[in-house]
Amino acid sequence: MCFGRSVSLLCTVLFFLVSCGKREQESTSLVFWSSTNSQEIDFSRKYIELWNNNPSNKPIVFQPVPEGQSSEEVVLAAVVGMTTPDMYANMWQGDVEDFAQSGVLVALDSLEGFLEFIHARCDSSVVKEITSQNGHIYQIPWKVNPIMMMYNPKVFEIAGITEVPDTYEDYLEAGLKLKEKNLMLGISETGAIWWQRFFNFLPLYYAASGGMPLVENGKAIFNSEHGIAVFAFLQKLYSSNFFSRENLKGQSDPFLASKLALTFTGPWTIEYNDRFKADGFEFEFAPVPLSDTSSAPIYSYGDPYKIVFFNTCRDPQYAWRFLKSILTAEADKDFMELSGQMPRRKDLDSNPLFLSYLESHPKLLPFAKQAKYVRGIDSQTHMKEVLDLISAEYEACVVYGKKDPRDAIEDAAKAVELLYIE
Amino acid sequence: MSTLKRNNLASYLLVSPYILHVFVFVLFPVAFSLFLTFHEWNIIGPMKYVGLTNYEKLLQDQYFFKSIRNTLVFLLIHIPLQIVIALGLAVMLNQKIWFRAFFRGSFFMPVVVSGVVITILWQQLYGYEVGTINMALNSLGFEKVGWLIDPVWAMPSIAIMATWKNVGLYIILFLVGLQSVPRSLYEAADLEGATSWQKFWHITLPVINPTVVMVMILSTISGFSLFIEPYVMTNGGPLNATLSSVLYIYKQGFFYYHMGYAATLGLIFALLILLVVFIQRKVIEKKQA
Repeated sequence: MCFGRSVSLLCTVLFFLVSCGKREQESTSLVFWSSTNSQEIDFSRKYIELWNNNPSNKPIVFQPVPEGQSSEEVVLAAVVGMTTPDMYANMWQGDVEDFAQSGVLVALDSLEGFLEFIHARCDSSVVKEITSQNGHIYQIPWKVNPIMMMYNPKVFEIAGITEVPDTYEDYLEAGLKLKEKNLMLGISETGAIWWQRFFNFLPLYYAASGGMPLVENGKAIFNSEHGIAVFAFLQKLYSSNFFSRENLKGQSDPFLASKLALTFTGPWTIEYNDRFKADGFEFEFAPVPLSDTSSAPIYSYGDPYKIVFFNTCRDPQYAWRFLKSILTAEADKDFMELSGQMPRRKDLDSNPLFLSYLESHPKLLPFAKQAKYVRGIDSQTHMKEVLDLISAEYEACVVYGKKDPRDAIEDAAKAVELLYIE
Repeated sequence: MSTLKRNNLASYLLVSPYILHVFVFVLFPVAFSLFLTFHEWNIIGPMKYVGLTNYEKLLQDQYFFKSIRNTLVFLLIHIPLQIVIALGLAVMLNQKIWFRAFFRGSFFMPVVVSGVVITILWQQLYGYEVGTINMALNSLGFEKVGWLIDPVWAMPSIAIMATWKNVGLYIILFLVGLQSVPRSLYEAADLEGATSWQKFWHITLPVINPTVVMVMILSTISGFSLFIEPYVMTNGGPLNATLSSVLYIYKQGFFYYHMGYAATLGLIFALLILLVVFIQRKVIEKKQA
């Protein structure tokens, strides 16, 4: 009995000591969440271990974003529950402004050395793109995955297409030739979900408009000749049956099965193709099409993800000190090697550190070149809803041909502007 | 303390968990929703009082009216189909047939299987290029049908699937009703020389009428809450042809975080359901009288 009491007492004392110790450690450390992508986990773990191995550094606690239906939902739940990490390295650019306007992000431009760093890393157009409506900067541009046209040169060869199509006209001609051979020109997402426009309308709109925003100061900008031309071109691809209306999921990958010539995708497809392609299968990348290629450069959508600090961050200046250690040129090169994603920096195609790696990985080279000419999402609130509203019109006009491109774009613009009425 | 007071206290204590449940999970959410309808709130930021703006916005919202129209189209297909099939199968299963228990179990199986699993299964059946149904149609020389990608077919396809999933439950209800029909009525009809159809029309149907009414009300209410099927299979498309009201409210609330507007849509939609069920009951009661 006496022994039992002593054990219970000892356990209780130990429990309190351990609890207090943990609390002490938590209060002195900073928490960093990465995405659940295994390559990004490896990268973050490596650099956090390096940081933590230096005893003079304040420890960083690493964790991938907890599992949930989507990382956005998990982050939202964390914001509501005040359990956000100090740093989060997987925020979609379109969400940043909503969080910033709600006051849950740290204005990074208030941190010492931040503005110098960001101007050294990115060109002025990127800095403009990430600047909030209120003039502050809440996001650190970290990585991009430019959307490009991926094509199968052998399929083009079968149809007698000798040059890679790069204009709308070329695409339509190629579609006709491929149809004669019972092949399809391409495939893209056909649904009306916001992110599906990353692979068709958005890159083509940025290419056509030279990187113009979708929305500016609550006004739709996409209802221009560029937006209409993109809708009209894509509508023609579907109405001529050059592109499939069905997403063809549930059957073997039609691109790898050489049933079609092209699709629009990002650099992550390289690893997938290398893993699943048949022997001798070839694929290449080229910029997305536009009506007239004479005006260089050709922009595309960059699918950027950002690093943000939540307002629960206990020491933003220190967090920034740590973060700079994972944004060095060496770390960016490591990141590119590990994940196949492009760091968002202006010297990607000029710094010898990156060039030597890209030369040994020629499939990534077009993406590195394209990374200089990408646009993300405007620093405006409601961007998912904007893309959803465009998607509803896209489906009606482009995929089903039920609406005239001009009417569809105008209707989308009207609906978008309603979102910003105070 | 007197025995009466002690008994009263014990009674209150015994019902208190339920009362607490009603307050926390029924009354508070209803009151909070009503409060939200006058506010703009994105969950993470502070609430902003907007007066009747959400109600004004609703009146101009073409998607909400489209979602109501879609839900009504779904109900118009789903309810008659559900009643006819469930009643037909219940009559069949009420006979002495081989493997009756097996069939009763089989028809009920989809009711207990997760809605998400069933919708994924039907997605495979409804596929355009490689869907099982279209492959079968093609092999018989028919044209392929865009079950989920054609705006005309999408909602009927979902209604057929929802009927398949829920029919087992209504078969059980009809079986209970059928087994309560007095045998003597059929015997008397047999003596009069009535045919099977006449017996069904003049005896079975009038006796099980309360069950038909119950099935109609239950499937109306469950039909109004159409969500999983369009959410998983079509996300409301194509061309918003399967955008149900609940899916639209969900999108406004938990996707765009317009909590105030979603609460307004929810309130109006709840009133609409109340109105439809009220009219349905009045019409049926009048007919019965």
